[in-house]
Amino acid sequence: MDFMIRAATPEDCKDISRMIMELAVYENMPDQVKISHEVLEQDGFCKNPFFHCLVAEVAEQYRTTEGYTVIGYALFFYTYSTWKGRSVYMEDLYVMPEFRGEFPGKGVGTALMSKVAQVCKEQQCVRLQFSVLNWNTPSLDFYKAKGAQDLTDSEGWHVLRFDGEALDKLAQMAPKN
Amino acid sequence: MVYTIRVATLEDCKDIYRMIMELAKHEKVSDQVKIAQRDLEQDGFSKNPFFQSIIAEVPEQHRSKDGHSKVGYALYFFAYSSWKGRSVYMEDLYVMPEYRGKGIGKALMSKIAQLGLAAGCNQLNFAVLNWNKESMDFYLSQGCWDVTTGLDYHCMRCEGPALEALARGDPKN
Repeated sequence: MDFMIRAATPEDCKDISRMIMELAVYENMPDQVKISHEVLEQDGFCKNPFFHCLVAEVAEQYRTTEGYTVIGYALFFYTYSTWKGRSVYMEDLYVMPEFRGEFPGKGVGTALMSKVAQVCKEQQCVRLQFSVLNWNTPSLDFYKAKGAQDLTDSEGWHVLRFDGEALDKLAQMAPKN
Repeated sequence: MVYTIRVATLEDCKDIYRMIMELAKHEKVSDQVKIAQRDLEQDGFSKNPFFQSIIAEVPEQHRSKDGHSKVGYALYFFAYSSWKGRSVYMEDLYVMPEYRGKGIGKALMSKIAQLGLAAGCNQLNFAVLNWNKESMDFYLSQGCWDVTTGLDYHCMRCEGPALEALARGDPKN
């Protein structure tokens, strides 16, 4: 299946908003989503954006029955560790169910996350951090397979992190478009 | 004791760095600090800063025995919730031991809440190590809730009326 990973534009915010809701439904908390696509447009595309976003887009022949070609996204922002310096926090990573799992380790989710890791390297960020709900076994497996550390198990947190070699490897796996 | 809370400047990085090291020592992870003072200067005071910082300062007559008048700091940055929108994340909150119990920590946190609300944020998030009971008790007493206990994360949050009250600096009953 052909897909590409690219930076989101303001026009993508309707799709991103749609997928934010799909992710919230998956996490059993759909009533928690309070912001609209207009808010995303404002906050992500202003002079000092609050976040950055990548989207995954498939070729026309793979569009969904509803007509969507934007089928995944990663939303992230820069953070800071007073111990380690510049970092990135990946707030959301989501791929629509029908586009998951086709090629484990080479699919859309991996490509999105790799691109985020690439951004890390370009911006000299030394950590990629994110969170996972404890019961979300498929996601925990996905991240651990990529060398992520579960800091809650080791120190009392559920925060996952990429650094060092695992981060380099992840960055190297990104598609070259 | 009289003190002021103000936005940090480039010149404050030396003291911020000193206090980062003191906090790391308190959390028993001094060898984990990999950044230098120079990194703070670059990353916090360039065109697109990675963080913001505020300082608690006391007048000359109250400076520490080592001569420090900058006795606390908080370091934060703007973050984003794809569900709730703009938020602020407090990375560090620290007051030198001999200046604790005077409301400086609460004042620093309150200032962040204020600055966050002014910027359109509706959450103040931060993280605490599970074994740090003194800090846990302090934060929970301010009206936060433990997101990890509630939802499987260890991330603390001030929001709604508690956040408004924190920004106003209401006395704790």
